[in-house]
Amino acid sequence: MAMKNKERKKIIQAIPFMLPSIAGMVLFSLLPMLIAIALSFTGWSGLGKFSFSMVSKQFIGLENYQRLLSKGEFWTAVGHVLYFVVLYLPLSFFFSMLVALILNSGRKLSGLYRILYYIPVLTSWVAASLIWKWVLSSQYGVFNSILSIFGMQGPDWLTSKYWAMPGIVLASVWKDMGFYGLYIFGGLRTIDTGYYEAAQIDGAGKWVTLTRITIPLLSPTLFYCLIMSLINAFQIFPQVQIMTGGGPNGATQVPVERIYTYAFSYFKMGYAAAFSWLLFLIILALTLIQLKAQKAWVHYET
Amino acid sequence: MRRKRSGLLSNIIFYVISVALAVMVVIPFYWMIITSLKSKGALMALPIQWIPRHPTLQSYRKVFSLFPFGKAILNSLFVSITFTVITVLSSSMAAFAIAKIRFKGAGVFFRMYLMSMMIPTQITLIPLFIIMSRLNLTNTYTSVISPSIFSAFSIFLLVQNLRSLPDDFMEAARIDGASLWTTFFRVIMPMEKPVLATLVITTFMGAWNDYLWPLVMLSDKNKMTLTLALNTLNGQYGTEYNVLMAGCLISMIPIIVVYIIAQTQMKQGITAGGVKG
Amino acid sequence: MKAKRLVSMGLAVVLTAGLAACGSSQNKSTTEQTANENQTETAESVSTEPNDQESEAPVTITYANFNASGGNEETLNKMYEAFHKAYPNITVEIETIAMNDYFTTMQTRIAGGTGPDCLEMNIENFGTYASQGILEDLSGAGTEGMNQTALEAFQYDGTQYGLPENFSTVVLVYNKDLFDKAGIDYPDDNWTRDDVDAAAAKIRALGDDIYGIYQPVTYNEFYKVAAQYGGSLLNSDKSAFTINSEENVAALQSMADRVQKTNVQPTEEQMGGMGDWDLFESGRLGMIPTGTWCFNTFKDACGFNWDICVEPGETQKATHFFANALVVNKAASAEAKAAAQKWITWLASSAEAAQIRLDAGWDLPALDDTGKLSSYLEQTPPEHRQAVFDSLNYIVMPPVINDYQQMSDIITDCVSKAAKGECTAKEALDDAQSKCEAAIKLN
Repeated sequence: MAMKNKERKKIIQAIPFMLPSIAGMVLFSLLPMLIAIALSFTGWSGLGKFSFSMVSKQFIGLENYQRLLSKGEFWTAVGHVLYFVVLYLPLSFFFSMLVALILNSGRKLSGLYRILYYIPVLTSWVAASLIWKWVLSSQYGVFNSILSIFGMQGPDWLTSKYWAMPGIVLASVWKDMGFYGLYIFGGLRTIDTGYYEAAQIDGAGKWVTLTRITIPLLSPTLFYCLIMSLINAFQIFPQVQIMTGGGPNGATQVPVERIYTYAFSYFKMGYAAAFSWLLFLIILALTLIQLKAQKAWVHYET
Repeated sequence: MRRKRSGLLSNIIFYVISVALAVMVVIPFYWMIITSLKSKGALMALPIQWIPRHPTLQSYRKVFSLFPFGKAILNSLFVSITFTVITVLSSSMAAFAIAKIRFKGAGVFFRMYLMSMMIPTQITLIPLFIIMSRLNLTNTYTSVISPSIFSAFSIFLLVQNLRSLPDDFMEAARIDGASLWTTFFRVIMPMEKPVLATLVITTFMGAWNDYLWPLVMLSDKNKMTLTLALNTLNGQYGTEYNVLMAGCLISMIPIIVVYIIAQTQMKQGITAGGVKG
Repeated sequence: MKAKRLVSMGLAVVLTAGLAACGSSQNKSTTEQTANENQTETAESVSTEPNDQESEAPVTITYANFNASGGNEETLNKMYEAFHKAYPNITVEIETIAMNDYFTTMQTRIAGGTGPDCLEMNIENFGTYASQGILEDLSGAGTEGMNQTALEAFQYDGTQYGLPENFSTVVLVYNKDLFDKAGIDYPDDNWTRDDVDAAAAKIRALGDDIYGIYQPVTYNEFYKVAAQYGGSLLNSDKSAFTINSEENVAALQSMADRVQKTNVQPTEEQMGGMGDWDLFESGRLGMIPTGTWCFNTFKDACGFNWDICVEPGETQKATHFFANALVVNKAASAEAKAAAQKWITWLASSAEAAQIRLDAGWDLPALDDTGKLSSYLEQTPPEHRQAVFDSLNYIVMPPVINDYQQMSDIITDCVSKAAKGECTAKEALDDAQSKCEAAIKLN
């Protein structure tokens, strides 16, 4: 009984803290998502005034989903984004970690680095994509020009179907490493120095300190970075739209690019909504796996 | 002696790597500034000019002649600041409840918040607009700002951070007889300063740079934000990279200022957080 | 744990379902409210204006456009001031949005029931908008003086849904200095594509980074070149695709050969992200078939002599015709629709609007009476401006179907593969044919 009262008290205490975000979620997230689910079962073009009766008249059941799963396009787009994720995640993790360690070293210049490394984060995706489109220009861009200093002949980046995606990965890593880097750095700074002192007294080596203290205490931060970059990477869009527009020859057509095109260029809103929900399921599945796997390595203070 | 030499070596390695990384990060940015100072003809000069031979401000003049900048900057500031304040407050409250009150069902909400990030905003654009128009909010700042009240990204960020904070602080505050609100504002928020600073910057930047949502919502020209104004450049000056880069740079300046201000705050925050325990 | 997760999902569903139920019932009343409030607001704002003499009630309408963005907003305002003098009871709130976001914005606002009363529409999207029944029938509008071809372009199922606002044609622009250097005659209206190829080869020989011609191998150019070879993308009643016909294959072959075989046209890599206009402006390109809207830019940017002629064809001439339409939103109120129709008719066909448009060097009003356009012909460069109008004799209309954008994307994708030398012209068009047949249902 006592336990139950305590739980009830906690819920009552939590309500005022949760209320704003719950209200916001319901109104600005759940409700639009519900409408989007409804749309995915219709053949609505997306053109014309929306009303529930109009949409229900165009109910076509699971047809959108069947067409998506039977056509190669969906899986091709998922394949492209997986290719992006496989290249992006390790690179992004490596460089973020590097940034965090440089900042955490406490040496000279780290204040300056904290500003320099963050500049890409402060750039909007529109600006960053435009910059990189220009940087990666095979003839007039600065990237290949640097490669040529080292005697290398740079590829045609965004106009080549083999190099367009790596080009987008480069831009994305450049854009994101400062954010995750600074966040991991924050995580490193909040680790109580007492742990390290205790380890030193016990005579623990660097490796033991890293695996027994740093990683476990940093794990909630790393877990956040992993989940966020996974969710975001599966939904890359502005860089693709501006840098390649899905080209060349569809080599960088990723799910959200397809969704946007079907919704706003081809006027197939129902189809685009179904596309979104299949993408949702894929991201959800991967996130659930991570949530389950976190018990093996993520350590929370209690 | 041996010790000193290995210190020197590690110093060299450190500076080589960190400078190389800084150069990598800064080059595209440098390229953007240089390009914005070039004339249109110099864009295509081969070999490429690392330093413009005849620097010119003509692209800046072009950008400034296109828009009423003063008004757009004020609008942008108003929207972004309000947006940021609401997001930070609402998200840290939710994160506090989830991570520190740990009520039954917190996990359910946490998962729902996570799930809301998995659907592309491109597909919820029209549904959200429909809701706003049913609420009679089109062409108001309210419609642009109100979604700020729920930010799954921010809540997740703060929850993860709070979870690595020991519960001793909660306990100590409770024994002192502090209410949860006092604990939240006086104990937890100050300790979270570094991560809150990060959140302020990214939220401000997101609000500042967002353009599709304000574009769709605001039809009144007087309400136009800066990014909205600058985005018309992309369509109009597709390959005039000097004009595009000038526009990009102008749009970034306010954010860099905010960052440098927040940066000083963050330093204090981190040292304040460091003396705990 | 599993159970907990299930509960969380279940809760999400229940919550949303419940909300939708109360949401929809609430919504109706708020929409009505909105409509009422809007009306009263409008009435108030207009009644404060001095001109109250006409019997018609004052009305405020909204007009959205993309064409004025980036330099012609002032021109459009000038037009509106002239209009407002003639119709003091009609106030027009003009909203100018850049092209790349214009249609996303319009689609979203129309879905929410807050679209503008009248708006500008391009030829590519016109068919889709008309087919969805969201455009007002404009059969009652006075269309005298408007260009017949342009008018027909904006009919759907025989009904006039749009008024042509402006038009432009595509001509062959050439760099006179490069022709002089190569020692060849300037192109004239009798040239064919073979003459172009021969001249392009001689200009290409002038230097490593000097090119003969640039004609992008994309859908837009392809359907025109196909017509120059006597081909087309659809059969005559638009019931079947004819993308891989013999004529079309020959057309694509000639386009791709310029890139891959003779290289008188730069490959994508040789372009390196630069625009085709930039290449021409830099003086390194002999010929470029492009729209008449380039004149103002080229006048300022080209430090050499240039002129134009009607685009050379092959078995026949075929030239592009582009026009934008002015349309009225069917969902607008009756008064707004009436006022909107007056505004767009005035914008499209009044002498005053045409004059302001021409004086600003914006684009050409889609009017039949070329006498009104004489001031346009007097401006130079280019000297041979008459070619703009001569091109009208050979125009080929874009094959407007409901899924226009999708067809265009599929074809661009396939033909650009041929231009890169990744497949033959025949293979590219066979591929395009089967992809279009699979993705698009024709009526």
